[in-house]
Amino acid sequence: MKAKKIVSLFAATAMVVGTLAGCGGAASPAPAADGTTPAADSNKPAAETPAADSGSDTATADAAGAGDLMEIEIYDAAANYQGLQTGWFEKVVKDRFNLDLNIIAPQVAGDAIYQTRTSSGNLGDIVLLDAVDFADCVKAGLIKDISADIGNYSNLAGFMDQIKVYNSGLEGNNGEIFGIPTQMMNSSPTSYSQDVIYSSPLLRWDYYSELGKPEIKDLDGLVDVLGQMQAAHPTNESGDPCYAVSLWPDWDGNDNMLGIANVVQLTTWYGEKIKDSAILKADGKTFTPITDKTATYYKMLKFLNKLYKAGLVDPDSGTQDWNAACAKMSAGQVNMFWYSWQVGFWNSQDRLNDGTAMIFVPVGDQNYYVDADPYYGSGRVFGVGSGVDDAKYKRIMDFLDWYASPEGLQFEHAGIEGFNYEVGADGKFTAINDNALMDNLPVPEEYGGAGYSDGNNQINEWIVSANSINPNTGETYAKDYWSSWKAATLTQMKKDWAERFGAAEPAEWMKKNNKLVISPNVTVPLGSDTADISVIRNQCNETLCDYSWKMIFAEDDASFDSMWDEMSATMDGTGFQDLYAFDCAKWQPQIDAKNALQ
Amino acid sequence: MNKKKLRGYREFLYVLPFIILVLIFAYYPLYGWTYAFYDYKPPKPLSESLFVGFKWFHYMVDNEIKRKQLFQVLLNTFAVSGLSMLFSWFPMMFAVFLNEIKCEPYKKFVQTVTTLPNFISWVLVYSIAFCVFNSTGVVNSLLTDWGVIDKPVMFLQSSKHIWFKMWLWLTWKNAGWAAIMYIAAITGIDEELIDAAKVDGANRWKTIWHITIPSILPTYLVLLFLNMANFLSNGMEQFFVFQNSFNKDYIQVLDLYVYNLAMGGGGYSLATAIGVLKSLVSIVLLCVMNGISKLTRGEGFI
Repeated sequence: MKAKKIVSLFAATAMVVGTLAGCGGAASPAPAADGTTPAADSNKPAAETPAADSGSDTATADAAGAGDLMEIEIYDAAANYQGLQTGWFEKVVKDRFNLDLNIIAPQVAGDAIYQTRTSSGNLGDIVLLDAVDFADCVKAGLIKDISADIGNYSNLAGFMDQIKVYNSGLEGNNGEIFGIPTQMMNSSPTSYSQDVIYSSPLLRWDYYSELGKPEIKDLDGLVDVLGQMQAAHPTNESGDPCYAVSLWPDWDGNDNMLGIANVVQLTTWYGEKIKDSAILKADGKTFTPITDKTATYYKMLKFLNKLYKAGLVDPDSGTQDWNAACAKMSAGQVNMFWYSWQVGFWNSQDRLNDGTAMIFVPVGDQNYYVDADPYYGSGRVFGVGSGVDDAKYKRIMDFLDWYASPEGLQFEHAGIEGFNYEVGADGKFTAINDNALMDNLPVPEEYGGAGYSDGNNQINEWIVSANSINPNTGETYAKDYWSSWKAATLTQMKKDWAERFGAAEPAEWMKKNNKLVISPNVTVPLGSDTADISVIRNQCNETLCDYSWKMIFAEDDASFDSMWDEMSATMDGTGFQDLYAFDCAKWQPQIDAKNALQ
Repeated sequence: MNKKKLRGYREFLYVLPFIILVLIFAYYPLYGWTYAFYDYKPPKPLSESLFVGFKWFHYMVDNEIKRKQLFQVLLNTFAVSGLSMLFSWFPMMFAVFLNEIKCEPYKKFVQTVTTLPNFISWVLVYSIAFCVFNSTGVVNSLLTDWGVIDKPVMFLQSSKHIWFKMWLWLTWKNAGWAAIMYIAAITGIDEELIDAAKVDGANRWKTIWHITIPSILPTYLVLLFLNMANFLSNGMEQFFVFQNSFNKDYIQVLDLYVYNLAMGGGGYSLATAIGVLKSLVSIVLLCVMNGISKLTRGEGFI
């Protein structure tokens, strides 16, 4: 009897202890909604430092790496990877600063992590956010004022003008500096210095040549050409079906644009640019709602529907994910690309040589919109978390300064000397192992020997643009514009292309024929959504995307148009007019600033 | 007297852990309902947000389009729940028939195979579905090869019979698992009853009809009533993975709607308001079902 009692008492105690332990675990992730406990998390990073890593590397840290191994958390809106930086880039950073970079990626963990971390009062030691969120976080006291120190860091100070312009735009700012814009350049806010633009029609050159390189007048002509291509090549080499386009729904509603991400990009072919729920017309001054039937969103949707009716759209477009779409691009099942980066999935040096690569083919009535060089930055902003202590703060600033230095940029944009490039007698670089990223080649032993792609810089965002000029070489950081690279990639296909269109590069052709609408780069803070607007925005976006997909797959024009009308009515019912008015007001300052530069 | 009191304290201590658990996990989260009454938007903390009273409750129904949307969501919820309610006898009958299999290894095999899918996550189920049913998937390839169709059928993209298809997926995943409860109930039936029936000349069907089913009916009813009380929560994972622009109108159930609103676009306050309403309606449903249970079976289950 007695023993039983003791046992039951013990069990009860164990339960209570268990409960309390459970309580501790359960209570901490619950959002501290009152915001009074910013200190609660400040000791967390230290506790999480993995013991396994503090071994041999600490001993070999060189003089520049001040003190003990430290782990810093980077809240990184650009990263596609979550966790500790590994591989050769880890080694590079550890050797110099004895830092471990712990990357927190909302793109991996989900946007809810933004809410939980901001309400806990500590977003990260280094934060990288979209400009609108950054302004909110400054207001909420999550970002440290770095104005006193930034002047001491020469590489960052080199961009002081741009940094000051950005920070002076923050609400209620009196000269403090909180943020450092990303991908800044020292060229000019109205020039465009790349060879290709972000979105333009890119076709398989060999298929296009087979058709006799016909002139394409308009979108109907493009549908024709794509139809002939598919008729001539219904499958790829391994027998899988080919399509003119293969779309994917994962990105819908991203990047300050309502609607299907793929369609939204196509609107730039006619000089228009979608700003949230509004479309900025080609004159760069007037707005029209995205539901306007005369504007490009409707036009491009109709174009895709035409492709569908001609049997040229991948039937899985609406249900496949990004990975499935990538696999098709890499397998040569897609005959038209429209993002400049898509060629990375297909155009290899071999394919450029034998002429099977994808390249821009102009469509007569088109007029391409492009954002100018990111003189003032590309829209994201780096900052330091307000919770960091002095020692950590110094280390972070040292790191950020290096991150913007020529040495850092060479690592970020060009890779490892002797592995990704060689330095010639004239000091200029020549690329080697240019498949390092694609094939994840092992890096040299001194950098740890692991795969290049695995160890690549996972921050995935840069303070200085890859197209800036490297003072060490007088050429850009990105290999695409090195004279050695240009010489190596002047293939027969490139020559044929130049002969057919009378220009050396796509952007040059556009400039020559006056087909390029360059939108100047400005930095103007944008107002963030109120609670009402964010609900309306979300509902309108969902309606727009759902109907758009159905419209692409509509069987005839009548049902296409009736769906469009139904969609407009539904969106109006969920408050679209308020949203449109809000967005026009939101973007007007940016438009004014752009027009002031022209 | 004193001894009795002491015992009272001690017994209270026994139950205390559970009270604490309930308080923490069932009542503490209710504090989150306050978000429904504010214009909450991160990173601004709740304390600095504007108090708006019942604005978000009103927002749900303040024009025709929104009412229509909410009605469609409720219709989907009721249809999906109603369908599974309508077929709720299925796992029971499955268990009954499984029990009739005399070959022990075969019986075990069937039971294992039908139970396993319960442990596969919905994300994987969708991956399987995509592989099997996409335009170049197994089903389409076979049908094309046999000459049944000349153009791939987009199974996942159509909203036709979507409620029924969803029920099929759910059944494929859950039937074996749901049958376990009934199998346990069947094992609890007194062997003597069955033997007596056999002596009286009952054949297999008659034994099932007059003994097995009546014996497990109470289990069935309790489970059914509990399900009824959960009428509004049919989970969101299944619908989340199967949703796409083509079927969303008919697949968006209440839980998914709340998720899409809150996580999709930061409408936390509105989503909370809907959640609050759902909880209230669920409590009413539970009470109603309890009343019905009292009327029909003479006893409630709460």
